[in-house]
Amino acid sequence: MRTIYNRFRIGLTPQRVLSVVFLIALGYLVIFPLFLMAKETFIVHPLERFQIPGSTIGDLTLSHWIRSFVSENSFTFFYRPLLNTLQIAFGLSILALLIGGTLAWLVVRTDIPMKNVITNAAIIPYIMPSWTLALAWIALFKNERIGGDQGIFTALTGISTPDWFAYGLFPITITLALHYFPFGFMLIGGALRNIDAQLEESAELLGASRVATLRRIVIPLVLPAIFSTFLLTFSRGLGTFGTPAFLGGPVREFVLSTSLYANLIGGRPGIGYLAALAMIVLGVLVLYMDHKIIGTRRSYVTISGKGARAGLVALGRWRWPIASILMGSILAVIVVPLGALAIDTFMLRPGLYSWENFTWHYWVGEASLSVGLGTGEPGILRNPELMSALGNTMKLAVVVALITGILGVLVGYAIVRMRGSWVSQALDQLSFLPYLMPSIALGAIFLAMFAVPRWPFPSLHGTFTLLVIACVVSYLPYAVKAGVSAIRQIGPELEEAAIMTGASWWTRMYRVIIPIQKSTYFSGLLLPFISVTRELSLLILLVTPTAQLATTITLRYTDRGWYPYTNGMVLLLVVIVVTCTIMSRRLMGTNIAKGLGG
Amino acid sequence: MIIKKIIRTWVTAAIAVGLISVSSSVLAEDWAQIEASAKKEGALLVYSTTSRTAKAAKVFSAKHGIAVEVIRLKEQDLIQRAYQEAASGVQKVDMIVAEDWVAARELLANTGYFVNYVPPTARELFPKRHQNPLVLGYINRVFGYNTDKHSSGTPFKSVWDLTTDEFKGRVMIRDVAITGEHQNALTEWVRRSGELADAYQRRFGEPLVMTEPNAGLEFIKRFLQNDPIIMTSDTKISKAVGAAGQENPPYGMFYVYSKHRDKALKDLRITDNRQVDPTLGYYYPIVLQLATKAPNPNAAKMFMEYLGTIEGFAPWADSPGVYTPNPNQVPFKGDKPFSWWEKKMWYYDLDFAAANRGIVLDTWLKYAQR
Repeated sequence: MRTIYNRFRIGLTPQRVLSVVFLIALGYLVIFPLFLMAKETFIVHPLERFQIPGSTIGDLTLSHWIRSFVSENSFTFFYRPLLNTLQIAFGLSILALLIGGTLAWLVVRTDIPMKNVITNAAIIPYIMPSWTLALAWIALFKNERIGGDQGIFTALTGISTPDWFAYGLFPITITLALHYFPFGFMLIGGALRNIDAQLEESAELLGASRVATLRRIVIPLVLPAIFSTFLLTFSRGLGTFGTPAFLGGPVREFVLSTSLYANLIGGRPGIGYLAALAMIVLGVLVLYMDHKIIGTRRSYVTISGKGARAGLVALGRWRWPIASILMGSILAVIVVPLGALAIDTFMLRPGLYSWENFTWHYWVGEASLSVGLGTGEPGILRNPELMSALGNTMKLAVVVALITGILGVLVGYAIVRMRGSWVSQALDQLSFLPYLMPSIALGAIFLAMFAVPRWPFPSLHGTFTLLVIACVVSYLPYAVKAGVSAIRQIGPELEEAAIMTGASWWTRMYRVIIPIQKSTYFSGLLLPFISVTRELSLLILLVTPTAQLATTITLRYTDRGWYPYTNGMVLLLVVIVVTCTIMSRRLMGTNIAKGLGG
Repeated sequence: MIIKKIIRTWVTAAIAVGLISVSSSVLAEDWAQIEASAKKEGALLVYSTTSRTAKAAKVFSAKHGIAVEVIRLKEQDLIQRAYQEAASGVQKVDMIVAEDWVAARELLANTGYFVNYVPPTARELFPKRHQNPLVLGYINRVFGYNTDKHSSGTPFKSVWDLTTDEFKGRVMIRDVAITGEHQNALTEWVRRSGELADAYQRRFGEPLVMTEPNAGLEFIKRFLQNDPIIMTSDTKISKAVGAAGQENPPYGMFYVYSKHRDKALKDLRITDNRQVDPTLGYYYPIVLQLATKAPNPNAAKMFMEYLGTIEGFAPWADSPGVYTPNPNQVPFKGDKPFSWWEKKMWYYDLDFAAANRGIVLDTWLKYAQR
């Protein structure tokens, strides 16, 4: 008896305990919601009763499935949005790869000047909320179709933009690619940096041409990074909501996420969750293909050590022209949208661009029913409602970043130390799954799940805790990726040495594991932090009207047409986030790329 | 012996409960008592689809010393939130100021989560048909156009004009998929298919040839095939239609008339169309309902009473397009009285709307995707 207990105790290593705890927790917070979502697609919800004749609320039904997949209208209800979604996801991924890859090659492999500046600036488009670019596109290129004031481009040139250019799939793909290309830049850049130059030198010695070297050596070696980028951008493309909503709406081009949103908001969760499930299945398929195609190669790449740096390609007299074009376009992607937003906050009467119309009213003005839009709201900086929303956002961002950061290290530790077992694989895949779930669906399902008391929680409806849980689950993939890549680089020898000296597990974590990879962990904190500050779709259903967040309150102001306030808030958020990112880079040596697992 | 004891306890309890409920219903009639109890209650929590409830609440609070918190929600959000909170037993809201009574009745009233309450002023002055549910006011939604472009008169005189080439890609409407009231209103177009088909005949001189089962759905199909612009808010529609300096401004369908209050402030060149055959749009009620488990029921009743008075309705009375059932209210200058609109506009049949809005929505969704 004694020996069995002792064996059990010895077998009870920290990584085993952690694995079991996390498996249960993730099962509860990731798999269970999925199951609930699937269940909801078979139930008649309150407002759906109107669409399903003769039903009562809570009945079991197949009608959502029939309607979406095999009815005479299923092409318009489901397949058409699906095709649009795939088209956007493919287009944006390829564009993001092209832009990001080229940029990465130029920065890593050539003697282009201003490398540091370019590297820093190229990440900013990702830090801004993705729909800022969509808003800017509308401000620039809108035509008479949506009426109101002229777009800036038309105002300047007199040329009216065609509909396909101003709205719909084309601008959606472009603006999303401009938002997500930093993924490609960071991941491919990282892979390029890690290529052992000896391989290329050997090829050169054997007489291979530059092109042959690129084709036979460089590209195969960065292939895993290319696929990772594709996976990350493609699954974001499947789930993204803001941009297709702004740009697709005016020409009635819908994607799965916008039809999901309309259905959830319109009180038809049955069909809504079906769209969500379809998005998740697609994401899992891509993930599976990624594993199939490069699963083996990835581990092969990691063993190649880092040798000498390859010689840089000389751009010659093209050095500066290329650098200036790069900087110019990156700046354009950053400055033009932010500038367009900023100008609107200083124009007393929107759309009237002149000096007489200049005002500080929307920033510091007193509440007034007669000045400007006559909103009766004080300026942004002295508006208690807006400032408290901003405060809530910051509080949430910090709490979520800390929790996900700690979880990331622990889950990463369990995954790496249990490597080779099914537990490790299960944890790895479970913790990545939330990345593939459309955040609006995740928000809706958490609402359904926690509105009622559910062991071990009381009803969390409208609590801060619920927001924290949703965000932590949603951003766990980033933190775990960072955690895994950090722990993987710490050999078990260090820990074993600590064990020999009698250090407890806590001491080992606290004195060895965490200090060594400090900057990577902090990088893992950064992405959740940034993501929370601009999160909208995940939280929109979860916030209660009494405790608003910066983004959700912004949406209300948009609905009332109070754009100066909306734009001002977005600007404030961007400024805060960029400042935080730069500061943490300076102070902690953080690097967003590491948070992506690069 | 024990059984006897149990029975005795139960009987006593039943009598006590009965007494309490009888006495409370007697007390409910006693307004002075309600006022007294209201002062002892906490801060009132109100969900409202209109921001002007907050303005009324401010004056009410100052007057009666009862704190009121008003949360503004979109109509479907409000109904679902109120439903979800009540269903999960965390009803903190005291009363709602809601739209889309078809859905609200189904989810909030029929379920017993909310009840109707008619305070003294409303009981005395409001016509009976506006008392259950208690109507704060009616809102109308109209067709509108840009007056800079059409300074000489109305650009269209029949709803069927909006399905012709001239209006291709130029008509704006709030997305029916997220607007319960639009769904309700369009069921009336189904119910009165005959009149709608007659209007077609009047406009084009030939009978309507349909592929859909009735003229209402046929209109939805043709309207969507004529490439309308689907918007997310009425504010945006009125702004887009009315903005100055447009060569080819869009036209608005079914946006709330009260948006015209911003005309001067936003320099909107917009007017509503009063010559559309067979309806000028539609109107719908804003209803007041009391939460069954309201933490502060008496304060809520007092606020409902206040909203029924001329003073309480003042925040709405300063614009066109909102009409209280209170007969003492002077109509807004330049606007017609509700009795005029009632004759020119279609309302909807609650039961028919509940039974048919699914069909309307499905037809809409079917043709909305390009």
